[in-house]
Parts: sequence; C-alpha cells; structure tokens
Amino acid sequence: MRNDLELDAIIEDYLLGKLNAQEMEAFEKLRLSDATVDHKVVSHKFFLASMDTFAEQLRLKEQLNHIHSEIDVEGLAATLRPHPSRVVQLWRKHKSAIAVAASFVVLSLISIYSIQHSTQQAERYRQLSNRVNNAIKTQNSLIRNIRHSSATADKPNSQNSFGGTGFAISTNGYILTNLHIINGADSLYVQNSKGESFKVKSVYTDPQNDIAILKISDKHFSNLSSIPYTIKRNTSNIGEIVYTLGYPKDDAVLGEGYVSSKNGFVGDTTQYQVAISVNPGNSGGPVLDNNGNLVGIISGKPDQTEGAAFAIKSKYILEAMRAIPQDSLGTNKLSANKKSLLSGLKRTKQIEKIQDYVFMIKAY
Amino acid sequence: MNNSLKGSVPTDREVILGILNNSEDILNKLYKAYYAMVLQFILNNNGDEDDAKDVYQEGIIILYNKIKTGNFELSSKLKTYIYSVCRRIWLKKLSLNSKKTGSITDYEDVFAVEEDVENHEEKDASFMKMQSALNHLGEPCKTIIQDFYIHNLSMQDICEKFGYTNADNAKTQKYKCLQRLKKIFFQP
Repeated sequence: MRNDLELDAIIEDYLLGKLNAQEMEAFEKLRLSDATVDHKVVSHKFFLASMDTFAEQLRLKEQLNHIHSEIDVEGLAATLRPHPSRVVQLWRKHKSAIAVAASFVVLSLISIYSIQHSTQQAERYRQLSNRVNNAIKTQNSLIRNIRHSSATADKPNSQNSFGGTGFAISTNGYILTNLHIINGADSLYVQNSKGESFKVKSVYTDPQNDIAILKISDKHFSNLSSIPYTIKRNTSNIGEIVYTLGYPKDDAVLGEGYVSSKNGFVGDTTQYQVAISVNPGNSGGPVLDNNGNLVGIISGKPDQTEGAAFAIKSKYILEAMRAIPQDSLGTNKLSANKKSLLSGLKRTKQIEKIQDYVFMIKAY
Repeated sequence: MNNSLKGSVPTDREVILGILNNSEDILNKLYKAYYAMVLQFILNNNGDEDDAKDVYQEGIIILYNKIKTGNFELSSKLKTYIYSVCRRIWLKKLSLNSKKTGSITDYEDVFAVEEDVENHEEKDASFMKMQSALNHLGEPCKTIIQDFYIHNLSMQDICEKFGYTNADNAKTQKYKCLQRLKKIFFQP
C-alpha cells in the first residue's frame, strides 16, 4: 500500500515533469522493465487528461453561470414567451419577411406615384385656338386704335384674323364655338366659306365645358337655309368614323378619323378622344359621324400624343342650347329629333352641304 | 435590457479571437448576445427558462470547444451556428422525453450540426463520469482533489486548509484519495 502510494506520486511527478534528470532516467528504466508500472503511467496520463478537461469545462460552466446570473431572464422570458395572440406570434416569426414585403410595397407605390406624376406633368392640354393669334391680336388692336383715332371704319383687318372654328346651331345666326377662342376678346367676327364677315356678339358662355354661343348681329346677314346636321343623343362608340371641318388656315380643312376613347384628357368624361390630326384653328369645329350626326366639338389635343384630339360630347351642346332663351333660336334650330339631311350622302356632298354652316371665328 | 444586450454584440471574428485568447469579456458579450434568441426558441417549443439555460450553455460550450481545438471554420454566421446547435440539442431532449416534436417553431436559419453535437455528447459523457466519480468519493477527498486539480491550490495551501500537521501527510492523503477516485473512474 505504502509503495503503491509512492509509486503514484512518482508517476504523477514524472508526468508533470517534476522529476530531475537522474530520477527521470531511473524511472524510465523501471517503466521499461516493469509492464505494470508502464500500464499505471498510461492510465494515470489518461486520468490526468480527463481531469484537465473536466476542470476546464467546470470552470467554463461556472463562468457561464456567472454571466447567466447577470441576465434578467424573467424580463426576457416575459417578452419572448409565446404570445396568446396568433397575430403577434406570426409577426415575430415572419418579421423579416414582412419587412421585405412591406418595403417592396412602399417602393412600388412610390414608383407608380412617380410614373403617374411624371405623365401628368408631361401630358398637357393644348387648346387649339391659334397661339400666334395672341401676339397678332395685340398688334392688331394697336393698329385699330390708330385707325380709330384717324376715324376709319371699325372694320377688322382680315389678313390675319383667324382664331378658331364655329358652327351654326340655328338658321337665324346662332353659332356655337369654344369659349377659349373668344375669351378676353373685345370684338368678334365670323367669316363664312364665301369669305363674308359678320360681326357677332357672345350671348352665352359655359366655362366649365368650354362652350360659347355667339349671335350674328350684322344687318347684312341673311338667314341660312335649314341646318343639315342633327345632334346625336347617344354617346358614340369607340371606332366610330368621324370627321371635322375647321379653319386651321384661311380655307376650310377636312380632318377624318375615329372615336379612339370614350374619355378625354386624363379621364375627362365630358369629352371623347378622337383620332383626327388637328391644328391650331380647329378648335370649335363640329365633329360629325357618317350620317351627319353631331358627335362633339373639337376642343384641344394632348401635348405629347400625335394625331389625337379631344372633343366635347354633343350632349353638352344641347345643354348649352337650353341655357339661352328658346324662342330666340327661332323655329329652324339644331335639334336631336330630326333626321339628318346628310344621311346617306357621299362625304364630298356632305362637306358641300355643311360648309356654309361652319364659320371661322375671328377674335380681336 | 434588451437594447443593451443588442448594443454589445461582438463580431464573429472578435468572438473567435477572444475565445482563443481566453478573453472573459468576449465570452460575456457572446453569451449575452444570443441568449434571447435561444430563450425565445425554447420557450416557444415546449420548454422553460431552465431548459433554455441548459441548452444554451451546452451550445456555447460546444462552440467554445470547437474554437479551442483550432479547427473551427466559419462557414456561416456564429448566430446561425449557435442557433442550429441549440436547436439540435433541444430536439434531442424533446424526443428523449417523448414530448411532441411535430411542429417546431423556428426563428432563424438552420444548418446541419449533428456531428458537432454528437462529438460533444461523447465529451459530456466523460465529464459526467468524472463528476459522478467525484461525488462518490465523499469528503474530504472530493474537496482535496478539487482544490488540487481544479482550483490549482498547492499542497502547502491544502495542508493549511485541512489542518494537516505537515505537507507530507497531506500529500499521502491526496494520493489515497486519488487512488480511490481512479478506481471509481476506471470502473467499467
């Protein structure tokens, strides 16, 4: 027993390297000669290694326990415990996915908004009264002022006086056109296809629908024969062939196309979009279908789109006509009830018939 | 509390270097950084705070040992590694207790760590063996052995602590204890 203990002590000192060179040599000899000693050395080595790992793990665990005691477990557990509500559970589980989805939604909303915004900026509505006219008008009024002082006749200078188009809505000289053509003008004239000018005055304006009704107040004006076209009551369908006659220049110009959309500028329900190339001066021109029914009035075009125009729907013409005293229009007025005289005619014949009823509007 | 925990999350590199250099501070930060994650996982999968503590400490020890052996390759984030290890340990415990393991509520990505967990289990078995051997040893042997081998006290200190008349007596006592311990430890 005593020897065993001494042997153990020597073995441990040997393994820990505490023996001096002499003892070391003696012990290694003993180890070689005695297998039992050798076995004890190996097993003790293993035991010491186990003990080392054990000690290390134990120290680590103590350390971890110490750290653990610093954590407010109760508080954390309270917030992390399975929540009674399923919504909160789902939220915790899919937090990151939800965040990604949300940011995607926000991003797409922003891009949609910016696209819309930029199109709104880009597409501007252009009214088709002649723009140059404004400049001409001021010049003109100057000229007229001078003439006035030199007591010449109060007559328009016809060479640069076009502004837009209008058309007769009664035989006794009521003419319908766009408000934006005559807006702010101090005197108004209309000129028919034969080149005759008549002084007119504005009797009704509808700023909301951009409609104005003028009345020829010239004593030289003789009544027209009965109006060949009628008003179409129903709204037109997309694809319906339509045409317009207008005065973008000194002579009447025909433009033909089709109804391309049931709504006008940015979804404006009071207008159609028509596929007719129009130019400044076409404003106020009648839009007719193949049977000579009045579908609308050309009023403007989108800034960026080529070959498209907007036309005020015909029912607003009726509304405007109802707004003025009914007997003043006379018996032979534009109506929706009669059959159009243009029905069944060729286009050339139709134009021939209506050109006397389409006027160039000149505003000063 | 939560914020201060999150505020001091060390980088993965810091953790590895810190553990290799035996930095207590880094171990502290590491422990606090990911505890909440594991606690949440355990609480939401049929466990309580104590389960969470045990599992988490095992996970940290596995990571610690793996880094210490020097062949730790960072193939993922440490967070994912710890989560995967703890998840694996907890699943094993659940199936041992034949609790329901049907639907596990996950909070993080997971990757395969079976090997590491199994290696650890072997180590843990030898740890438990030593622990139970020490427990069987009885006093004062247990304390003498612990003081000498674990707390690294000198024979002189032990001699004074236990009131032996001289260091040689203490030494003899220690070797007697050691013999018994080895006997218990090497018992099949």
